[in-house]
Amino acid sequence: MDVWAQLMHGFAVALTAPNLMWCLVGCALGTAVGVLPGVGPAVTVALLLPITTKVDASGALIMFAGIYYGAMYGGSTTSILLNTPGESATIVTAMEGNEMAKRGRAGPALATSAIGSFFAGTIATIGLTFLSPLVVELGLKFGPPEYFALMVLAFTTVSAVLGESTLRGLCSLFLGLAIGLVGIDNQTGQARFAFDIPQLLDGIEVVTVAVGLFAVGETLYFASKLNQVDEKLESIKGSIWMKAEDWKRSIGPWIRGTLVGFPFGTIPAGGAEIPTFLSYAMEKKLSKHPEEFGKGAIEGVAGPEAANNASSTGTMVPLLTLGLPTSATAAILLSAFQQYGLQPGPLLFESNSALVWGLIASFYIGNVMLLVLNLPLVGLWVKLLQIPRPQLYAGILVFATMGVYGMRQSAFDVFLLYVIGLVGFLMRRYGFPTAPVIVGMILGPLAEEQMRRSLSISQGDPMIFVTHGISALLLGLTLVILIAPLVIGYLRKRRDMPLGATGEE
Amino acid sequence: MRAPAGQVAVAAGVLAIGACVLGGSFFLPTGGGYAQVGPGVVPRVVGAVILVLGAFLLAEALRGGFPGVDEEAEAKLPMDWTAFAWVSGGIIAYGLLIEHLGFIFSSTILFVMVARGFNSRRYGLNIATGLVLASAVFAMFNYGLGLTLPAGVLKAVLP
Repeated sequence: MDVWAQLMHGFAVALTAPNLMWCLVGCALGTAVGVLPGVGPAVTVALLLPITTKVDASGALIMFAGIYYGAMYGGSTTSILLNTPGESATIVTAMEGNEMAKRGRAGPALATSAIGSFFAGTIATIGLTFLSPLVVELGLKFGPPEYFALMVLAFTTVSAVLGESTLRGLCSLFLGLAIGLVGIDNQTGQARFAFDIPQLLDGIEVVTVAVGLFAVGETLYFASKLNQVDEKLESIKGSIWMKAEDWKRSIGPWIRGTLVGFPFGTIPAGGAEIPTFLSYAMEKKLSKHPEEFGKGAIEGVAGPEAANNASSTGTMVPLLTLGLPTSATAAILLSAFQQYGLQPGPLLFESNSALVWGLIASFYIGNVMLLVLNLPLVGLWVKLLQIPRPQLYAGILVFATMGVYGMRQSAFDVFLLYVIGLVGFLMRRYGFPTAPVIVGMILGPLAEEQMRRSLSISQGDPMIFVTHGISALLLGLTLVILIAPLVIGYLRKRRDMPLGATGEE
Repeated sequence: MRAPAGQVAVAAGVLAIGACVLGGSFFLPTGGGYAQVGPGVVPRVVGAVILVLGAFLLAEALRGGFPGVDEEAEAKLPMDWTAFAWVSGGIIAYGLLIEHLGFIFSSTILFVMVARGFNSRRYGLNIATGLVLASAVFAMFNYGLGLTLPAGVLKAVLP
């Protein structure tokens, strides 16, 4: 089959010494930032974007991707050993994993999560390998109206499906779209919302926004609210290896978690939260030991961890084949491609097949590296958790400001960073999701371009979006996603009304 | 139930952003040309939608608060404004000083102020850690990766 030839070609790229080194650096960095609270893969990739001027595209992208899925491995270590989860996708792991650690079973918890992550990551990469060419085939048939509709669908799912409030998700998305508008319109050269400030003419850099929302906002929030909460770091007692019983109880959840996680990653619904919760609920229902759930059931670690890794690899499918980012980190990866003048999508598989397949091949290698980094060497990363909070966050901000200032040597960007950090603080405080901002600001200009291209094809007739079958279907789906929760909510309210509720809570 | 003031303010902020985007869009051409759609169309749509979203937020806030935001739980974790001020001050000081003092000293000041925000009063340790960290980053970027971080007051002594 053709895929094999392409994949072997990819391995030839990924197995060169420099690319192996970038892969290792990415996986190690990813694990480190996954372990460290207060900094995640999105910020790290954003801060490292300037290296794109020094490193060739395949090396840099292999490293960035390594950071992305490496952080998933590292995040689970923190969730298990610390009672405050590092990444949002590992909240469920934190529930059972931390309970296991408290009962002196930190070792098996870490092992089942690392091996489960490896299993899921590898299976999902196989999925990515064979699914991508099919999606590329489909993508090649898409014109501007289809792409526009697909992007609108991605916007909606990223902001409306995730999180607890569709309204706040949409606010975040449109804030991102508004940020994306700033700067020179790339079709007419017209300056928009630059207010005659020269630094704004080039647009607001994704580095500033990602670092501001995630690093600065998080630091402000942690310092002023959460610093009062005590954290307790569990130690790893006894062997980290799993007993036969642990293996027996983990295999099923790994497989089911992967099967739930991967599809969720590939559809433009993004985010790993939903599949981890689904997997957790499923394992709880299927378990022969339901009484252990909440008190450290190994299934509750194995399943969600597998789901979380499978879905993060799954997000690579829409990103690589259609150029659709469905998470904050994926959006920043997209902008890394753009730094090289590359646009992920079906055409990239033809024009830069060595790059794309090299990247896919590196996922196989990276998962093996991560298994070694996170299981035998787990003690190394635990040391990172012992860095005291004041020095940790102070250090994070030194890197954050350095990255943002160093980008253009402009103090203006530092103040802009602070303003965005304040916004990030408010968003955190009032429950606005931050990922849609990043997706909106990066995908927004692309969607606008596709929309304007469509309308110039149809000579200004907006009906082009409905007369094209696929585009109409996708826009219809978007409408359903937006309206269904309202209808369900209304029906539920009507049903509950007679039970004495006044409708007000 | 009283409307949480913070939430009302957030909703007002969203409305203000919407008004700015919508208002700004009127200075941009919307029509014509080969492209059919000018650079003002999308800003106009985005601005209008933000206004609508802001109005919904305001309604939610006034009707007892954003669903899912537990103001009672938040009240149990009171805002530590001193910590907030230290961290904020650190970043603002960095922005003001970076071009005069240079990277190493501005970063050290930032480090000490943020650590203070997290209640660390071990100034000797923090100054030393900040200096070492900043110098290491400076050396790595300026001599290793060829990026230029400002040397500032150390310009005369550094190579």
